[in-house]
Amino acid sequence: MMNDSIRKVSIEELCKSKDINQTLVMEVVEFGIARPVEGNTIQDWKFDTSTVHWLKKAIRLNRQLEIDWVGVAMVIELLKQREALEYENHTLQRQLARFLES
Amino acid sequence: MEFKDYYAILGVAKDAELKEIKKAYRKLALEFHPDMNAADDAEEKFKEVAEAYEVLKDTEKRAEYDEIRKYGAGQKQGFTPPPGWQSESQHTHWDANSEDFSDFFNSVFSARRSRQQSHNDPFSQGYTRADYPMTGQDAELEVPIFLEDTLHSSAKTVEFMQSEVVNAQLVKKKKTLKVKIPQGVVDGQRIRLKGQGGKGSQGGENGDLYLHIRLVPHPLFDVQGHDLTMTLPLAPWEAILGTEITVPTLDGKVKMTVQPNSQTGQKLRIKGKGLKRKSGYGDLFAVLKIVNPPETDEKALTLWNELAKTSAFDPRKEWS
Repeated sequence: MMNDSIRKVSIEELCKSKDINQTLVMEVVEFGIARPVEGNTIQDWKFDTSTVHWLKKAIRLNRQLEIDWVGVAMVIELLKQREALEYENHTLQRQLARFLES
Repeated sequence: MEFKDYYAILGVAKDAELKEIKKAYRKLALEFHPDMNAADDAEEKFKEVAEAYEVLKDTEKRAEYDEIRKYGAGQKQGFTPPPGWQSESQHTHWDANSEDFSDFFNSVFSARRSRQQSHNDPFSQGYTRADYPMTGQDAELEVPIFLEDTLHSSAKTVEFMQSEVVNAQLVKKKKTLKVKIPQGVVDGQRIRLKGQGGKGSQGGENGDLYLHIRLVPHPLFDVQGHDLTMTLPLAPWEAILGTEITVPTLDGKVKMTVQPNSQTGQKLRIKGKGLKRKSGYGDLFAVLKIVNPPETDEKALTLWNELAKTSAFDPRKEWS
């Protein structure tokens, strides 16, 4: 089993980055863009490492492209959907190719 | 260092209004933002555009930049700020000493902070990089993993380039790391290695390294969640008569029975021969595919002819 520090990141650790602070993380969580996997109070929040990727992306989009949080939530949802569809499409293409090849 | 013409970077006139600057920035940012554009040079271009916008959107910074511009526009490569130059701008969310910004930006806009922080120290002056602890940047690295290697934890050596500040210069160094990949990793998963990212400066902590797991396409198996799918080719007579077949799996071979009158597309489940889950393993599905021999000899042709005459089977029954 993987230990905690390689698959989870605490809010304290996240906010060490110069681009992230608690207020921003709260916004991201409030708009349902990312969800902590652990912790009842903000100080105890922990995020899955894959969520951290989307959380950072959301903050970048909000700051750098000046997209409001509702827009960011929509963009992130669509990016996730696109990633899942690309993966599914790729897998199906490979399966189809195996099936069609003689 | 190179003089940066922020107006040219955003493609706006020197007297452009804030509204035009914003519009130009948004257009270029959408084009070059690394989350929207995967091209190799997109990130560098975006950084340049973001830096130009950071200065031109701020009235105070823009006025200071205009001053500097009058002084240094002709200097191009050999630009240095005027003697005694002191920025009055306050920096907001993007740290002026950030390595995201050019040396030009840092030399123009970080002078004030450095002086403020070092005024008690007569030996410390003129820094262009931060003189307070800064956490290193997080890094991400794609790590290809073979399906077989996900069944058990495995060791892997990864190599990547890392930025480091040496004598106030940002240099890229090659780093080699032996990492342990835990069993049960899935495609797209990110594993965090604490403190293995960019080096912190002035006593700041190192950033983290995220290993982005990418499962290498397998010649036989496709991944669906924790299950695997494979194509199982059958001769027409095997499909009709049924047979016992030895099937390869990720960890060895297993025997399975193909029932009589099997059809192309039917799936046979081999329990527990998929990928590692939190508890237990996924399954392997063998999809049947009836394959004809590439060539038919005379004896076989006679048998097929006999079958054609005696069989009442019509595969296109639904057309009529």
